[in-house]
Amino acid sequence: MATFIVRRVLWLIVVLFAISVLVFLIFFAIPGVDPARQMAGRNPTAETIRNIKHEFGLDRPLPVRYGLMMKHIFISRDLISYGSHTKVIPEILSAAPVTLSLVFGAAVIWIVFSILTGLAAAVFRGTIIDPLLMILALIGISIPVFWLGEVVNLITQSRLHHFFLFSWVPPLGYTPLTQDPVMWFEQLLLPWLTLSVLYIGFYARVLRANLIETESEDYVRTARAKGLSERRVLLRHTLRTSLITFVSLFGLDFGVLVGGGALLTEVVFGLPGVGLLTYNSLTSLDLPVIMTTVIYGAFFITLASALVDLVYAWLDPRVRPA
Amino acid sequence: MRARSLFLLVVALGLTATLAACGGSSKSGSKTTTSNSTSAGAAGGTFLAVAKAAPSGSPDPQIDYTLQEWQLLIFTHDGLVAFKRVGGTEGTKIVPDLVTSIPNPTDGGKTYTFTIRKGIKFSNGKELKPSDVKYTFLRLFKIGQSPNAGSWYNVIVGGDACVKTPKTCNLDQGVIADDAKSTVTFHLTRGDPEFLDKLAVPFAFILPTGTPNKEAQIPPPGTGPYKWAQYNTNKQIKLVRNPFFKLWSTDAQPAGNPDVIVEKFGLSDEAQVTEVENGQADWMFDTPPADRLNEMSTKYPSQVFINPLTAVYYFAFNVRVPPFNNLKARQGVNYATDRNALVKIYGGPKLATPTCQILPPGFPGYKAYCPYTKNPGSGKWTAPDLAKARQLIAASGTKGATVKVNTDTTDVNKAFGEYFVSLLNKLGYKAQLQALSADIQYPYCQNSKNKVQFCYSSWYQDYPAASDFLNVLLGCSDFVPNSSASPNISEFCVKPIQAQMNAALKTGILNPTAANTQWAAVDKAVTDQAPWVSMLNPKYLNFVSKRVKGFQFSPQWYFLIDQASVK
Amino acid sequence: MAVFEPEAELATLDIEELGGEVAGRSPWALAGRRLLHNKLAIAAAVVFVLIVAVSFAAPLYARHIAHTDAFTSNLSGTFRLHGKTIQVIQQGTGKLGLGETPVAPTWHAKYFLGADSQGRDVATRVLYGGRASLEIGIGSAVLASVLAVVFGLIAGFFGGWTDALLSRLMDLIWAFPVYLLAISLATVLLTAPNGLRIGFVHLNASSLWIPLGIIGVIYVPYVFRPIRGQVLSLREREFVEAAIAQGASNLRLIFSEVLPNVASTVIVLLPLMIATTILTESALSYLSIGVQPPKASWGTIIEDGQGLLYTRPWVAIAPGIMIVLTVLALNVLGDGLRDALDPRSKLRMKG
Repeated sequence: MATFIVRRVLWLIVVLFAISVLVFLIFFAIPGVDPARQMAGRNPTAETIRNIKHEFGLDRPLPVRYGLMMKHIFISRDLISYGSHTKVIPEILSAAPVTLSLVFGAAVIWIVFSILTGLAAAVFRGTIIDPLLMILALIGISIPVFWLGEVVNLITQSRLHHFFLFSWVPPLGYTPLTQDPVMWFEQLLLPWLTLSVLYIGFYARVLRANLIETESEDYVRTARAKGLSERRVLLRHTLRTSLITFVSLFGLDFGVLVGGGALLTEVVFGLPGVGLLTYNSLTSLDLPVIMTTVIYGAFFITLASALVDLVYAWLDPRVRPA
Repeated sequence: MRARSLFLLVVALGLTATLAACGGSSKSGSKTTTSNSTSAGAAGGTFLAVAKAAPSGSPDPQIDYTLQEWQLLIFTHDGLVAFKRVGGTEGTKIVPDLVTSIPNPTDGGKTYTFTIRKGIKFSNGKELKPSDVKYTFLRLFKIGQSPNAGSWYNVIVGGDACVKTPKTCNLDQGVIADDAKSTVTFHLTRGDPEFLDKLAVPFAFILPTGTPNKEAQIPPPGTGPYKWAQYNTNKQIKLVRNPFFKLWSTDAQPAGNPDVIVEKFGLSDEAQVTEVENGQADWMFDTPPADRLNEMSTKYPSQVFINPLTAVYYFAFNVRVPPFNNLKARQGVNYATDRNALVKIYGGPKLATPTCQILPPGFPGYKAYCPYTKNPGSGKWTAPDLAKARQLIAASGTKGATVKVNTDTTDVNKAFGEYFVSLLNKLGYKAQLQALSADIQYPYCQNSKNKVQFCYSSWYQDYPAASDFLNVLLGCSDFVPNSSASPNISEFCVKPIQAQMNAALKTGILNPTAANTQWAAVDKAVTDQAPWVSMLNPKYLNFVSKRVKGFQFSPQWYFLIDQASVK
Repeated sequence: MAVFEPEAELATLDIEELGGEVAGRSPWALAGRRLLHNKLAIAAAVVFVLIVAVSFAAPLYARHIAHTDAFTSNLSGTFRLHGKTIQVIQQGTGKLGLGETPVAPTWHAKYFLGADSQGRDVATRVLYGGRASLEIGIGSAVLASVLAVVFGLIAGFFGGWTDALLSRLMDLIWAFPVYLLAISLATVLLTAPNGLRIGFVHLNASSLWIPLGIIGVIYVPYVFRPIRGQVLSLREREFVEAAIAQGASNLRLIFSEVLPNVASTVIVLLPLMIATTILTESALSYLSIGVQPPKASWGTIIEDGQGLLYTRPWVAIAPGIMIVLTVLALNVLGDGLRDALDPRSKLRMKG
């Protein structure tokens, strides 16, 4: 166990290093990009550009600049954005709770509903319920999340806003939980539902497919032959094995989302989360913010991946890490 | 509709050549009782503005160059003088602000002695003194990043040296502050008719002594009726009342109506329109998207305000790189361009008018001229002439060339780009779209290293003088090779035309009216050379919520937010 | 509800279905027969083939039915309908006359679904868009699957250092933010004067290979994990041990024992992958970093439609519906494939 943790921590450091170097190189490989000129605004003089270059250490050699940036991120924690000229780390720290609120809420909804749907579909196989649920799940998978969000907004904010069903919908945005829990909930409800639609569909199907596959395994037959009740067979034997793929996929998806992968949902619903921050920094080629958000995202993805391996081993004894 | 970066231009300068020529006479002395006092509606309440993103660039008032922040800085800070805070053309006049009156410069226009008003306090409780003025100008150079330190404010004695070595900046010869007598004296290196206008913009707004000499993360305390309470680039900006503010001049710095002004970020332009329509926000900073215009003008016409601007939208040819180093090719594309289509992309004839030339209508030196239309001669554009276009392009021998159409990724500008890709393909070229983020597109086009062939841009007046359009955008000295700071994107430099420009500049110092005729001739000559495809002259659209009363549009600061009321 | 009596029922089914002959048929042939009896899957396959056919017939539609061009801007154009001349882009009718709106769906041959903001025929563009989306979706899913199988087999089978290295490499790719890679690549290609040159390969910015490659590579880890997991468990199974006892070589083991089992996983995953890649392509195109204008894909049309959502929602709805239909069809087909390939799974149809 201890070696596992040590190995994973070392790996995390390797990942963060590799990715940060890659980001750095990509950014500086983009021709036509001149951060000092970008920061200087409209029609600056040559001196202004020179001063900015010096101030931000942009006239030093590449490895030095990389080192300086890492120092500003991890040690002195005062990295400045090229775009807004304000500190990056507080920006990310204020954006993180937004993304976490969005992703946790959506995850709760999608885990509950996908397990229910997948189980129901597998149990009621042979009746109309199974294909019906699966068609619904399929439709869920097939809808692009940004498009769904736009349509939701169109209906709830504009066309049917006066309808009683949607008149409670508040303006788009985010209110911290500590400030106004009711508003926090109301503003996040539709984004949660929109984001989870895709995942409910996907995971319900994955679970159902795994359940069916496992059902026909020999050991399940044996369990039934032994006289175990259906429910016990389902929960103890079938479900547990079926959850393996479910868990490994979930871990990866969740890690990506926490790290800023829900950016489309954030863009459409005006939630100032890490995803939106990443997107804005990418389109304006704001390297400090890009670098910090990439490191933030990579951290969570790698962490999730390690946790998934742990849970995987717990669920399937055959695949314990050596 | 237009890229935010356009606001980076010094719209608020509004320097007028005529004002300059008249010296100090039209700059009225201190008048506290005027008819432009705060308009209908009661004070109080929170004014909620929404925007897609925070102002790009620094929060520091001496570095920031965006309209978005300038519109708010005028409520929190003051300069020695100000643009009169009213709508309409009155808003281009200069009035005294922190000074008691506007003096006539002495010593051949090189010395200004101001008397500072007494009893004005910063939002931190400290009283304004002349030494604060000196400190402010020192800081302007010391922070090293102020965009115009080296081009505008180096007119102050000692300024050039300060630009070279900011850390050891010394303005003892240039700015002399006398706290005992309450005076500040400026010594300039030469007479500068635009000096007072330079004092009226946020770069020169007075800050308290002791403000750190490095870039601020939120604007420092000021003397205006509001102060900055929050500047979170991911969430919002918040202005609250300055408890130490006492009204001294309604012309220069009237009391504001709302108690709190908030500008919230992170909303798409569609969401912003919906919020304003629903009354959930009072005003949107960004331009409403094209598909909401009809809805706004049908359901909420009284909440829509359209104001004319002196600006031009265009695509610049690179006249030094094939295929558009060929005059016939450029003229051919001009004849083929359907400017009506471009107007439609912008939002229709109520929001823009087609143009073929450089200067915008209503501008000094403007004379309607459009050769690139069917049946030219009236000066107005009517329809494209495809036959003539094909003829010219065939004669140019440039058919089949690959062309990259460069524009930015905002909806309207990208749509312009798509239109031109389609047009160029129709004319026989092989066109591709190259859409870059607005933050990098303008410097990218400016740099001749990137060999951009056809590039979107726009220009808003710095001040109403024809030289500001023609010389800055098409003059030989404004093309700087291999630099991202080269406003002459076309790389246009024709010696005889430059000579005409120089002659007009010279005439303009003493006789602006005569110069205007010369500028009209320059406009015509340049247009004939087709360094651009001039597209349209835009109007500015503001959309406010139902409860907003007293909308005023100043040519310098656009929507005067604190003069409106929400109660 | 008791639903489990697999073997007896299935055995009966097979023998009945195959006219009493089981001996001598390969598992694949059996699978094929089972698939053919799955009516829903066949219907889905037909729908999918129809969509592909219609998309690839886009030029015919443009030239002979609609008489419009999908790629040329037509802002000032007009056309005739029911004897009236109609403007393609119409000025707003409100009090202030602001705004210009494209024509609404005519539900006739010309501008069936209306026009977009450049005055182009949306229906024609949706068909052309299908071509691009399908090419990229299928191509990248295949690419990802092929790479994932190769790496998964190697990692799962050989274990040890190879496994560790490959798994870590996959983690690295997965940790790399998709959008960063895609946007950076897109910007580099857009700003470079002559496109991307790697050796003899020359791609310009509007080439479809770029989104295809990007999406293909980023989804490799997604498929790799389950494959590797499965190979790992298969390796310990009895039939593999039996084969080893028989003296089979590694290569033979991979190809004759492991690969067929893995293959059915891939085949079942493949439609899901294509669904994902089509959706990813639409997301990237929506962010303007996938297919470049004036080329169309369903994603770029949704982006065009986003700017018209309040006035002409069909521009965004139509490509969305196409995506849903295509993905739905693919998944039903995938279900059918899975049912057909798993010899011990019960046929859904009989119940």
